[in-house]
Amino acid sequence: MLTKELLRVSRAGGGYHPQFVDAGVDDLAARVLGVYQGHVGERRAALDAALTDLERDADDFKLVRGFAKLLERDATFETQSPVEPRRVRRRVFEAAESVGVVDDSERQTALERAGDHFGVAPSVLEDALYADRDSRQVMAAFDPRWSPSELRTQYNLSLAQTALFDATEVRVRSSEPATLVSAVKRLQLLYEIVSTPSGREVVVTGPDALFSNTRRYGTRFARLLRTVAATAEWELTATIDDRGTERELHLSAADVTVPGVEPVSEVTYDSGVEADFAARFEALELDWELIREPEPLEAGEHVVVPDFAFDWRPGHEGGVRKTAPDESAFRVYFEIMGFWTPEYVRKKLSRLAALEDVELLVAVDDSLGVGDAIDAQAHRAIPYSGSVRVKDVRDALRPFEAELVAESADSLPDSLEPDADVVSLAALADERGVSEDAIEDKSFPAHELVGRTLVRPAVLDRVDERIEAGQTLAEVQAILDDHGIDDDSAVLSRLGYRVEWDGLSGGTVRERETD
Amino acid sequence: MSLTLSYDSGTVRLQGDYPADLPGVQADERSKSGRAPAYRYADLRQALDEAGVTYTDRVLSLPDLSLSTTYDLRAYQRTALDAWHDAGDRGCLELPTGSGKTVVGIAAAVALGTPTLVVVPTIDLLDQWERELDREFDVPIGRLGGGEQRLEPVTVATYDSAYLRADEIGDQFGLVVFDEVHHLGGEGYRDIARLLAAPARLGLTATFERPDGAHEVIEDLVGPVVHRIGVDDLAGEHLADYDIKRIEVSLTPAERERYEAAQSTFTDYLAQSNIRMESGSDYQELVKRSGTDPRAREALLAKQRAREVMMNAQRKVDRLGTLLDRHREDRIIVFTAYTDLVYRLSERFLLPAITHETSAGERREILDRFREGDYSRVVTANVLDEGVDVPDANVAVVLSGSGSEREFTQRLGRILRPTDDGSRALLYELVTEETAEENVAARRR
Repeated sequence: MLTKELLRVSRAGGGYHPQFVDAGVDDLAARVLGVYQGHVGERRAALDAALTDLERDADDFKLVRGFAKLLERDATFETQSPVEPRRVRRRVFEAAESVGVVDDSERQTALERAGDHFGVAPSVLEDALYADRDSRQVMAAFDPRWSPSELRTQYNLSLAQTALFDATEVRVRSSEPATLVSAVKRLQLLYEIVSTPSGREVVVTGPDALFSNTRRYGTRFARLLRTVAATAEWELTATIDDRGTERELHLSAADVTVPGVEPVSEVTYDSGVEADFAARFEALELDWELIREPEPLEAGEHVVVPDFAFDWRPGHEGGVRKTAPDESAFRVYFEIMGFWTPEYVRKKLSRLAALEDVELLVAVDDSLGVGDAIDAQAHRAIPYSGSVRVKDVRDALRPFEAELVAESADSLPDSLEPDADVVSLAALADERGVSEDAIEDKSFPAHELVGRTLVRPAVLDRVDERIEAGQTLAEVQAILDDHGIDDDSAVLSRLGYRVEWDGLSGGTVRERETD
Repeated sequence: MSLTLSYDSGTVRLQGDYPADLPGVQADERSKSGRAPAYRYADLRQALDEAGVTYTDRVLSLPDLSLSTTYDLRAYQRTALDAWHDAGDRGCLELPTGSGKTVVGIAAAVALGTPTLVVVPTIDLLDQWERELDREFDVPIGRLGGGEQRLEPVTVATYDSAYLRADEIGDQFGLVVFDEVHHLGGEGYRDIARLLAAPARLGLTATFERPDGAHEVIEDLVGPVVHRIGVDDLAGEHLADYDIKRIEVSLTPAERERYEAAQSTFTDYLAQSNIRMESGSDYQELVKRSGTDPRAREALLAKQRAREVMMNAQRKVDRLGTLLDRHREDRIIVFTAYTDLVYRLSERFLLPAITHETSAGERREILDRFREGDYSRVVTANVLDEGVDVPDANVAVVLSGSGSEREFTQRLGRILRPTDDGSRALLYELVTEETAEENVAARRR
C-alpha cells in the first residue's frame, strides 16, 4: 500500500479513477530500481537525493515516489559506527556539561575527554554521534523481489488499495465467492448479498456502518482487494468518501492483478467426491451446464455457497464452468454433503432450510442417516454411498427438465418454417434456445424430416437427380455436402439407396431392393 | 424470543424483540438484529429499564477493581471531580496546564473501581500516564502504542492505537478517560468514543473549544464541560512570571542571495498563477496544484528552501552561542521547528537533543538527567508540546516558531520557572530580520 499523499487519481466526469500505469512506465520503474541498486553501501541521504533528482526528471514525481516506497521494503539499512552512538552521546554530553561548551576549543576539549574513554580520536566520535539517524544510516543490502514490470503491477495494486482507504462501502463480484466470503469474515467485516441486474454482489461494510459512512475499514478493504485480485474474474465497485463528496470507484481484473501470482483459473474441488461427480456428469453431455461454486446464497444470518449449480442451457459447449455472472438461465443448486459430524450436518441443514427461495438438491452420504430430515425440509435428497451416482442426479433433474421442455415447447408455434433449405433439429433447437425435445413434435409444413434433419422437398429432388447407383460413397458424400446435409445414411435410405461397404471406409452406392 | 444485548465490533447488538424508538437503535438487515452505536449503551439501558423491558445484558463483562491512591486531592481538583460525578459520571473538565489533570483522572478511576482506559495524544503522555498509574495502582498497567500492545484492566492508549482497536476492546472498560479531549473532535478520532461501550466518560483539557466547532461532537460523545478552572484561579501557585526578549539577526550575504533567489521563484509563480497567499486555503490550493503542475511544485520547493535559509541562518547559531555563554549558570531549553537544525545545534554545542527521531527510552533518559541536574541544557523540536512532564528551566531560546499562539504559550507556561534567588525567567526569540518570518512573529503578538 502507498501513503495517502502518493495517491494519483483523476476525477474526470465526476468519477474516481486511480491513474493506473501500463508497460510505458517500465523504463522509469527500471530507473528507480537502478537508483536503489546503485546506492548499496551509501548513506540514505545520498539515496534520497538521487531519488529527488529522478523525481524532477520524471513527468510525475508521485509515480517515482510510489515506486520507491514499494522498493523501500527490500532495502536493508544499518547503523555503521565503531562505537554505539547512544553510548557516545551520553559520554559526549556529560563531558560537554562539565566543560560548558560554547566555543570551538571547549568543544574540542569535551570531545577529547569522551574520546579518551572509548580510546578513539575525537573525529571518530564526531562521526559516531548521530550515525544512527535515519538519514545517516547506510544501505547494507538491496534484494528487490520484483522486476520492472512486476513493480509496475504491484504499483497498480498498491494504488488501488490506497484508493480504497477512503471507501465507506465495497461491492464485489468474484469467480470465487467462497474465497471472497471467507476473506471478508477473516477481516471481520460485515456483508450482505444483494441481487443486481448483473448478478449477485457481496456488499461489504463494517458493523457500525449503519450509523455513519465510516472510512475506518479502509485498510481492511485494501487487504480484501489483495485476495480478490488474486482470483481470475472479479469486479469491484466502491463508494469513496472523497473529502466529503461521494464518488464511485470501479476496479476489475483488467486494472489490477497480483505480481508473481497467477490467478487461479482452473476449477478447484473440496473433495474427491465432488471432482469425480463433475467429471462423470460432464461426460453425459446433457442440456444442463454444471457450474462450480456459484454465487453465495443468503440463508438467514449466514451465507451458503453451494458446491454446484446446474444451469439449463440446451446445446451448450460442455465443460465445467466457474461462476457465470449474468444469469438468465434456470438454475438448480446442488450441495454434496460428505461425512461430517452430526453437529455440522445439523448446522448445515438449518442453514439450507433458511435458504431463500431457490431450487436445491442435496446429495447425502447414506452413513449420515439424515436423508429423512432433509426430505422433511422439502429439499430433494439424493442418497449416496461412496460416490454420487449421476443417474440419480439426472433422475432428480428430470422433473425440472420435463417442465422446462414443456414450457419452451409451449412458447413455440405448433408449426415451424425455418428459412434454411436444410437444417438439423439440433441446430434449429439451438437457434431457438430450446432443447431438441421441445421442437421434435412440431409440424414442419415446408420441410420433410429425414432422420434428424429437416430438408425442403425441392432439395431432396435435386440431390436425387445427381445420385446414381454405382457412384462411390465419397462422391455421394460430396454431393450431400454441397447441399449441407450431414445425415448421410438417413437421406440415402429415404431416396432408395443402400451402401455396399468395401472395407471400413469406402463403399459403393446401390439401388435398394424393394421388398 | 427474549431480548439479549451484546457487544459486536463497536456496536450494541439487540437480538430478540425490542421496543420501537430505543435511543440510537436501527434494524440491521445484514445480521437480522437491532444495532446501536456502542456509545449509546448507557442511554439504551436506561430506556429499556424505564420501559420495564426485561433483557439479558452481555455487553460488558468487567471484573471489579479495587484501586486506591495516595494523592490527596487539592480543593479545586475535588470540586471538579464532584461536578463530574453529579453529571452522571460523564463530561469534560477544563483545567489549566500544570493543574494536575493526571491526578483527577486517577481519582475518577479509584472512585468507580472499574476497568479504565486512558487515551492520550502523544507517546510522551503515554509514557507519563503509564509511569504515574504504575506508581499509584497495585495492578499491571496495559499499554497500547509506542510499539507495544498490552491490554490490562487499566490501560493507557494513544489516540492512534485506540482508533485502530476500539471496536475490538470496546467492551472491556467501564470508564474511559480522554486526556487532551479536544483531539477527540478530529474526524477519525471521534470513532474511538463512538465504538466504546464504557458508560462512564471523562474528558480532560486545557482548551475545550475548537475553532472548527467540533466540540459539539465531543459534547455528544463524552459530555459537555461540567467544570472549568481558569488560569487566574491558580495564579501564583503554578504559573511562572517571565520576560520575553526579541533578538533580530541578519542573513549573511550568501544566505541573503539564496533566500532572494528562492523567494523570487516563489513569488514569480504566484504572480503568473493569480494565487495570493492571503489565507491557509490559498496555500492548500498551491499544494493541490503541485500534485499535477511541475511549476507549482517547483514554487513550493523554492518556498521551502527560502524558509530553510531563514530558519537556519548562521547568525542565529552564532547568537545562540552568545546566549549559552551568557547563561552558563542557568537551565536552558532551546526550541526550533526544524529537526535538522536541532541536530546541527546538538553537534555544534554538544547539546543533548530530543526530536521525533529520538527513541522513547533515550528521551526519558535525557529528561531525567535534565531534571536531576546532570544536564543543564537541552535542544528540541516540537516534541515537548502537550502536557508532558517537562523539567523546569529558567531560560528558553526559540529559534523558530510555528506562529501558532497557543502552542507557543503552552510551552512557555509549562517550562519557565523563576530561579531560587527570585529572578524572573527569560525567553529569547531569535528572528531573522527583513524576511517573511518577521510577519509570523508579528502576527503572534
